[in-house]
Amino acid sequence: MRDEQTPDGDLLVILRHGPHGTSWLREGLDAALVGAAFGREVALLFMGEGVLALLEGQGPGALGQKGTGPTLEMLEMYDIEALYVEGRAMERYGLEQQDLLLETRCLDAAAIAELVDRNALVLTF
Amino acid sequence: MKLHIVNRAPDAGRAVEQALSAMTAEDRLLLIEDGVQGALPSQVDGFADIEGRLYALRDDLEARGLMGRHDERVKVVDVDGFVTLTEQAERTLSWY
Amino acid sequence: MRYAILLMGAPYSDQASHSALRFARAVLARGHQLETVFFYHDGVYNAARLAAPPQDEPHLVDGWITLNAEHGVALQVCIAAALRRGLMDEREASRHGKSGYSVEAPFELTGLGQLVDLGLNCDRLVTFAS
Repeated sequence: MRDEQTPDGDLLVILRHGPHGTSWLREGLDAALVGAAFGREVALLFMGEGVLALLEGQGPGALGQKGTGPTLEMLEMYDIEALYVEGRAMERYGLEQQDLLLETRCLDAAAIAELVDRNALVLTF
Repeated sequence: MKLHIVNRAPDAGRAVEQALSAMTAEDRLLLIEDGVQGALPSQVDGFADIEGRLYALRDDLEARGLMGRHDERVKVVDVDGFVTLTEQAERTLSWY
Repeated sequence: MRYAILLMGAPYSDQASHSALRFARAVLARGHQLETVFFYHDGVYNAARLAAPPQDEPHLVDGWITLNAEHGVALQVCIAAALRRGLMDEREASRHGKSGYSVEAPFELTGLGQLVDLGLNCDRLVTFAS
């Protein structure tokens, strides 16, 4: 039986920026990877612009800057498998699951509030 | 109960919308920095869903000349009150 | 209670650093323990030892140093975020063949794992960001 007071996950990282434009996405992902490398249960929620981080077909920048696509492809190796996207943002950008690099679960606002509630530590980037 | 902290004006991006969608029915929201613009009567309707759970930081209202112009439904706290809110909440989340 | 602060805004670029310092002082004034301020993203610029703001502006770097001196608050800077931005202590500077250094004690360069530990082990982690 699940104890209502005890969060299910250790760390939820909320990513709200797209790739390349700022380092928020990369530095947020770094926090998630470090958490997982230290044996924590980590989940990712892509909100707003952050859903664009999951688009297929991303490349490096003009100066060869790596971008975050390759990091996302490594998530499974770090056992980060709980991936969520904000339904409202997917709609706003006209995206479907098939447009994304990775398998995600699409959440409405109520489900987002519940997910945030279920994690011991939530970091927003 | 969690405390959500927003430092962005309602007109600047989606921080307010994202904070509201991550809130449960007991959570509270504190407006700081440019976020206090949300306490103006013309803006406060955007927080109708959390009436009674909306706070704004006095220092940041005062520094912007907004103290006294804010809507009476917003509870104004000083920085000591900010710490109290974090004591009462199990966790805090920041939206920026 | 045991508090920690995560700061992710550059000083003098936006209000995040001022807000964090103001909150840190209030936490201590209420009798709590402030264990660590963790500097990440552009927050690492708060550790720049050469910061020289005009005299009529609050000196944020000195503000952090005072918290450390008077209350033992640890000032931890994410090393990966810092090195990218040209912030390094004497040891890292010599490792990278640089002639000067830009971070010194009481600021300490540390790994990002420290942030996750703080978040999970302190009673409260409060984030200020730009």
